[in-house]
Amino acid sequence: MTVIHVFVKQVPDISTLEYDQSSLAPRLEKATQRLGEIDLVALEAAVRIKESLGGEVVVLSAGSGVSELVLREALAMGADKCFYVSDERLSRADSWVTANVLSRLSRRVGSPDLLLCGEASSDEGNYQLGPRLSEALAIPCVTHAVKVELDGNVARVRRALEDRVETLESALPLIVTASLELATPRLPSLLMIRAASRKPLTRIELSELGLSEELVKPLLERVSARILKTTRRNIVLQGEPRECAEKLVESLASEGVIRA
Amino acid sequence: MRPVLMVAGDLDELLELRAFIDLVGASDAKALIPENLLNDGRLSTLGLSRVYSIEALDEAPAEALSTTVAELVRRDGPGIVVAPSKKIFREVFARAAQNLSAPCVTDCVGISLVDDRLVVDRPFLGGGYIERLAVRRLPVLLTVQMQGRRPSARKEEGFEAVRLGRLSVEEGTLRRVSVERSARGGSELGKARVVVSVGRGFKRREDLKLAEELAQLLEAELACSRPIASDLGWMPEEKHVGLSGKWISPQLYIALGISGQVQHMVGVRNSRVIVAVNNDASAPIHKEADYSIPLDLYKFVPALIQVLRERRSRAG
Ligand SMILES: Cc1cc2nc3c(=O)[nH]c(=O)nc-3n(C[C@H](O)[C@H](O)[C@H](O)COP(=O)(O)OP(=O)(O)OC[C@H]3O[C@@H](n4cnc5c(N)ncnc54)[C@H](O)[C@@H]3O)c2cc1C
Repeated sequence: MTVIHVFVKQVPDISTLEYDQSSLAPRLEKATQRLGEIDLVALEAAVRIKESLGGEVVVLSAGSGVSELVLREALAMGADKCFYVSDERLSRADSWVTANVLSRLSRRVGSPDLLLCGEASSDEGNYQLGPRLSEALAIPCVTHAVKVELDGNVARVRRALEDRVETLESALPLIVTASLELATPRLPSLLMIRAASRKPLTRIELSELGLSEELVKPLLERVSARILKTTRRNIVLQGEPRECAEKLVESLASEGVIRA
Repeated sequence: MRPVLMVAGDLDELLELRAFIDLVGASDAKALIPENLLNDGRLSTLGLSRVYSIEALDEAPAEALSTTVAELVRRDGPGIVVAPSKKIFREVFARAAQNLSAPCVTDCVGISLVDDRLVVDRPFLGGGYIERLAVRRLPVLLTVQMQGRRPSARKEEGFEAVRLGRLSVEEGTLRRVSVERSARGGSELGKARVVVSVGRGFKRREDLKLAEELAQLLEAELACSRPIASDLGWMPEEKHVGLSGKWISPQLYIALGISGQVQHMVGVRNSRVIVAVNNDASAPIHKEADYSIPLDLYKFVPALIQVLRERRSRAG
């Protein structure tokens, strides 16, 4: 039976995130929580493989203040079960700590054939989890996948780099990081949402993973964060296309950004 | 000041890395580059003590390249290791960092010393925010967002060249079955004065002709949003601007049929003037524009082309 581990991260919903007017810092503590955009893409790809070849999709997550409600979303999309670690010590986790925790968690709950995660998280966007897991678990990794096919014990993956598209093959197990374009996440039906409430969701304590202090101590520390604001003039050009075009060309020419 | 190792795929990248590192200074600088760059005269103006070279570095598998980077770090002991923020280097550095139990920061846009602590700035929360990270342990591996920085001139100096040959790919790991080169074309974007950019407001690939015609009239470069390149494949991957693509700062950025999500805007935020054409008056791009035109691009762009043509023929 094909076992797929999918790594997902609970992140603040960027579309509704607010910031503090004086410090310009994001109000992360007040943010609505959701699953990362590309994590859902990775999960969708896993569920589709399961639907065509059979097997099991196991969702893994680590963080602080992890909400079971948010993780149920992954179960509603078709994952079979979920294991997670939620510990205050992970509130400052960097990619090093996250990879150490998730590699241990994956080993602890099974021996997957395929390990899938997003190419980058929606909040930090580090692009590091897949490659770091690969080193920690000594399992090869293909990043930025736009297509994944399994054939027996072999995976074939297409990946898009800036200047080329490569197809790679590997025996399983294999780690794959999903590009945003790998799949379009489904919207779970009411039926699937109901079914998800009966699927197993298991919390594992950080201490159970037997990680040394060294492995859970972050090597980076966020000292500040502030919103990027650019003041723009917001001049709205109204009227018929021709009229607007004339006004625009006049303005741009007088500003000297186009040839008069 | 610390010793530094710079890893680059071409001379432009190396120049930019040097300029980035100059922001904090380096006590010694070494580089790892593709073999075919060794003869470039500009290498001797970068203040390098040693240059390692690898044949076809840009095609080396990430696993093999990361092993080499980790070995060089162990051998020479640099405090800071830098490479451009490209997919392959992010992967190589994340791997090498895990191997070295070291921190790695991707997409750095700034670096400085605050109270003797090394700090780096990078996009956060989709690019709508900048976060500042303090580095708690060296060595640190950084990938740097390319933004067109250039180092100030140095006098010519000799360096030691160390050829590492071609990296062997170990047995039993991944096999590359095929490679298709993608269309190139992003290299001019960083320097363009005017950029015309297309988004999913375009219904068909053929319709991009409209944008091309406008770009020609304005002597502009074409760019696009991520879905136009990555989802639809209508434009080269290298032409997409934003968080995961190019960061540009033209005098004029004209966005046609682009909604203006944070991941897109972070790449064009430093443009001097932004024009948005989007028939949804509530699209976020209108709040980020100097001139906002809430019209159908299929009606507005032909009119704009017409007006520009008439002016040109009157002037000419
Ligand atoms: C981790 C991550 C990284 C990302 N990186 C990038 C990145 O680097 N660059 C990037 O661009 N995106 C990036 N994205 C995607 C980004 O979030 C948006 O999905 C994307 O920018 C939307 O592209 P778009 O504006 O072309 O399409 P849409 O959001 O679909 O917008 C199309 C717009 O066209 C308008 N329109 C439709 N018809 C017409 C018409 N006839 N005339 C005028 N206007 C019309 C619509 O009103 C709409 O606003 C990233 C996303 C993630 C999660």
